[in-house]
Amino acid sequence: MARRVKLKGILISALLAVLTLTFLYPMYFMLINSLKTRSEYFVNQFSLPPGQLQLTNFTTMISQFRILALFKNSFIVSSLTVVGLLIVGTFASFVFAKYRFRGRTAIYLAVIATMFIPSQVTIIPLYVLFSRIGLVNTYWSVVLSYLALFLPECILLMTANFRPIIDELLEAAEIDGCNYFQKVWNVVLPMGRAAIFLSIIFYFIMAWNDLFTPMIFLQSMEKRTVMVALAALMGRYTGAPTLQFAGLLLSAVPALVVYIIFQRHIIRGLSVGAIK
Amino acid sequence: MKKRKNFLAIFLSLLPVFVILAVFRVYPIVTSLLKSFTNWDGLYRSDWVGLQNYVNFVKSGQFWMVLRNTLILLVNVPLQVFIGLVVALLLYEKVKGWQFYRAMVYTPQIISAVIIGFLFKIFFGFNGPFNLVLKAVGLGSMAIEWFGNSYTALGVIVFSVVWFSIGWQAIVILGGMSAIPSSVFEAAIIDGANYWQRAFKIVVPMLVRVIEFAVIASGVWTLTQLFPFLFAMTRGGPGYETSTLDYMIYLKSFGLGFGRDYGTATAIAVLLLVLVLALTLIEMQVANRADDWS
Repeated sequence: MARRVKLKGILISALLAVLTLTFLYPMYFMLINSLKTRSEYFVNQFSLPPGQLQLTNFTTMISQFRILALFKNSFIVSSLTVVGLLIVGTFASFVFAKYRFRGRTAIYLAVIATMFIPSQVTIIPLYVLFSRIGLVNTYWSVVLSYLALFLPECILLMTANFRPIIDELLEAAEIDGCNYFQKVWNVVLPMGRAAIFLSIIFYFIMAWNDLFTPMIFLQSMEKRTVMVALAALMGRYTGAPTLQFAGLLLSAVPALVVYIIFQRHIIRGLSVGAIK
Repeated sequence: MKKRKNFLAIFLSLLPVFVILAVFRVYPIVTSLLKSFTNWDGLYRSDWVGLQNYVNFVKSGQFWMVLRNTLILLVNVPLQVFIGLVVALLLYEKVKGWQFYRAMVYTPQIISAVIIGFLFKIFFGFNGPFNLVLKAVGLGSMAIEWFGNSYTALGVIVFSVVWFSIGWQAIVILGGMSAIPSSVFEAAIIDGANYWQRAFKIVVPMLVRVIEFAVIASGVWTLTQLFPFLFAMTRGGPGYETSTLDYMIYLKSFGLGFGRDYGTATAIAVLLLVLVLALTLIEMQVANRADDWS
């Protein structure tokens, strides 16, 4: 019996290890080939770099394609999105979670219902609107679209997490003379930090990785996000796969680093409230 | 006095949400709906054409091609749910290092779909690693130009989407599993149930609701979020051969060389919206999630 249990454990570990390899291999493949020259790549795609490690692909990405400037654009868009979501989302979620007022459920459901509307449905009128008021090719066009796109889900997540906050705590704060903002700052933020933290990480990554919205709104070279530039670059350099690998890898790194640091929070959050 | 103060706080807290959603979601949807009955070009031309955009789209044959492509691409849903379920069952045993495996399985979700799309395009390129492996194991005749015809191209897209989504499925289903009380298992073990009986007779039936949610969420996701995969791998082409509704909206409005047919594009957008809302309503009916939310 004990041996069978042990055997089962080994079998499961082996299966999981194989799965892990399936998910890691493409990244490994990108890494080894981004460190080769083009001819080395075409001789053998599966070997480790045969000669000296070639850093030229990466230096080309940095000096010629100015990928760091693209990172800056993506970073600004993602950060502004997250800050906006937190400010607007926290107050709204607090009210939905802790205040009783007429029509609360109806309003809440109406807000949540807009979560399911895909961005393709709104993109054309938004483009026309933004070009009329001069917001095309500014970060704000993308940030405002993201705010509208992510807010409902963010409110769903935060409201669910603010609801268990104990009412007595809020009352005590009130008795101590806290006004509305102080209540949010001193009670809601610390007690609901799990949801807030998850929102920061999750929507930062979402905004960083998105292609569709910035591709439509940010067409100028100076404002493009890294994914928009990558999409354009990849089509142009199909003959230089090692350079492509370097570009793909570099663009994936920031989100991966955030994930590696905070993966526990992300997975815990996903297991409770199912985000997609 | 207190009441009025509360009202002010509630009102001011919700106001930004209303403004943002009204301007950047509701207004564009209403505009899309209205303009889908016109020959809008985004500028001044906007004449009422009735149902012509819809009729032309359905008649043109593009509609049927999109329908075919969507049905083929939807094959990814049962695949990702099933594999995700198996992975969740494996993780559920909590073998040594399971948290590490769980984190690894989720990794593709963190990488931009754009990057994954291009990666798979290279992997399945004519001289790419996949064909090299086929040749090496003596299956050289199968080493074809995968993006050369729409069926194999759609197959590669399905494969990449499944690879991308397994982690999400596994985590969500695992979340559902952790709600199953351990007493159920203990009872089953005492009754002499083996691993497979436990997995498929106890765990899976108790997960019906989670699986339902997973199926509909990934169905909606397939209808609305394939843009980066298609853009990277096929650009929806050749022609519209691998386009979906959401990709076609892009092609008809912003795609180079496809003209600027905002009228038709908004008509397709309305069709997509109706489809997504119908699926969502079904989901809410089935699962009665409205109750959990309020």
